[in-house]
Amino acid sequence: MIEVRNLVKDYYGNIAVNDISFTVNAGEIVGFLGPNGAGKSTTMNIITGYISSTSGQAIVNGYDIFEEPEKAKKSIGYLPEQPPIYPDMKVREYLMFVAELKKVNKKERQQMIEDIMNLTKINDVSERLIKYLSKGYKQRVGLASAIVGYPEILILDEPTVGLDPNQIIEIRELIKSLSKKHTILLSSHIMQEVSAVCDKIIIINKGKLIAYDTPANIAKMLEESRELLLTVKGYETTVKYIIDSMEGIREVKYNKSGTEGCIDISIKMEENTDIREELFYAMSKANCPIIEMRLHQTTLEEIFLALTHDNVKISDMENEDIPEQDYETKEAEE
Amino acid sequence: MGAIYKKELKSYFTSMIGCVFLAIMLIIISIYFFVVNMLNMYAEMSTTLNAITFVIVLIMPIITMRTLAEENKQKTDQLLFTAPVSIVKIILGKYLALITLYGIGMAVICTYPIIMNMYGDAQIAQSYSSILGFFLMGAAYLAIGLFISSLTESQVIAGVISFIVMIFTYLMTNIAGLLPTGHLSQVVCLAVIVVIISCIAYIMMHNLVVTAAICIVGEAFVAIMYFVRPSFYDGLMVNILSWFSVVDRYRSFSLGIMDVSAMVYYLSVIFVFIFFTVMRIKKKRWS
Repeated sequence: MIEVRNLVKDYYGNIAVNDISFTVNAGEIVGFLGPNGAGKSTTMNIITGYISSTSGQAIVNGYDIFEEPEKAKKSIGYLPEQPPIYPDMKVREYLMFVAELKKVNKKERQQMIEDIMNLTKINDVSERLIKYLSKGYKQRVGLASAIVGYPEILILDEPTVGLDPNQIIEIRELIKSLSKKHTILLSSHIMQEVSAVCDKIIIINKGKLIAYDTPANIAKMLEESRELLLTVKGYETTVKYIIDSMEGIREVKYNKSGTEGCIDISIKMEENTDIREELFYAMSKANCPIIEMRLHQTTLEEIFLALTHDNVKISDMENEDIPEQDYETKEAEE
Repeated sequence: MGAIYKKELKSYFTSMIGCVFLAIMLIIISIYFFVVNMLNMYAEMSTTLNAITFVIVLIMPIITMRTLAEENKQKTDQLLFTAPVSIVKIILGKYLALITLYGIGMAVICTYPIIMNMYGDAQIAQSYSSILGFFLMGAAYLAIGLFISSLTESQVIAGVISFIVMIFTYLMTNIAGLLPTGHLSQVVCLAVIVVIISCIAYIMMHNLVVTAAICIVGEAFVAIMYFVRPSFYDGLMVNILSWFSVVDRYRSFSLGIMDVSAMVYYLSVIFVFIFFTVMRIKKKRWS
């Protein structure tokens, strides 16, 4: 279990992490999502005890990383952004060193490393010097070193960077299989990756936590932004009359269509309503054939872009959009 | 600690650096041994070792420069400092590996008095005393080099700075002799030192008020002492500078004296610089 409370990291006035709190429960895979420079790596470095925070707490498996670092670190396996590998060592030699460093029992070491090399598929390079390996292999050696000792918590900073598409799928499968025994916090700036493997998603931007929920819930929160796009053949007045008479519509926009005699309409529906069927019958009754109708569902990717672009919390979004400028002045006052 | 010690020691010999270090050290010492002890038939090691204290200054940076700078650069420090091992143990492991490598070279030199003894009466006790002094001096330089290596990400910069610092301590006795001895000039020197210390404090703390306070209190102390107790300044700069003269402490060993104060000096240098290294790494985490 990882518990982060009000974490702040201030690099001489440059705030990298700004008051982040979240909890990762045992057995969960949590994705840490944010654009480059959002503070993902900084947060992970703080949780693993590599750097300290300006204020706030990080509690790993019940131990505060600043108060009892050795006990807390014992339950963490960390793969940093750049895998911490020694170029002049052989793969097996390196993993043996890591095992010794992590105080793995001497008798178990050999077997554990064989298992881990099988798991990460690096046994065919086990006797090669790390500096001669490709980026993908180096990444996997780094991942293997994080798994050494089977720590309860794995913290992986962009684990699939530098891998080819096949390897990405393999690593994802590996992460999924690891999640049966381990709690995993992994970061990425790619939405699909996170939504493919994670139970929950944390979205951060500019050091602030924007959202923390399941992928489905995050999508749901923004469901109101789903749009119904229509192309209808008929007179504008008739179409307008029909649509105005319908319920469950929040906003309508009419545009001139490319097709002659048609109108493009975009409709924003209210939450938990679906007017497509009703609309179809109403239009056909009025002899206004629907040429095209599709529901534009916001993808997680778009949500991510929208969230990180506007820098607005979802809870605020439900009420009204707060202009960015106001937000910043508020910050400055604090 | 054991894991890091073993890994470090192994890496000296996989990357050639250890072999190069031992080769240079032993070749130069052996040439001097051959010329001084074999050809000129001096029956003790101290003259030989005295003549080659400069070798230590030349070769220590070769092994110390990479110890922490390379970890910083390759980001492997992330592995070490997130492992369930305390920072002190990591640093000690690295330092002991350095000492061991240097110790291997010194072990070879320990055979030289025995070789001499095979051909006549060698001054065994005096020889081993100077070898012990030589070893301690090297150990002190290793600690200094280790600290300098923790300051930067670049091996080259660490190497050059270590070299400059070591050359400086080597020449310190001569530099101290050149300084003026008048009271006023000592006051000026001390005042400058206070300013330099304040600047370093500012770089480390980024706190103008505290550093200004340090500076003002320090300068006031310097001025008051000048008027109240001018005798305080008798030979002050020479004394201060001789604290840094690492090589100077070795002289009494070479006379065959087991100088306790020099041993304490070397052990304190080792302790202080290992402490500084640990502090430096802790500080880096906090900034």
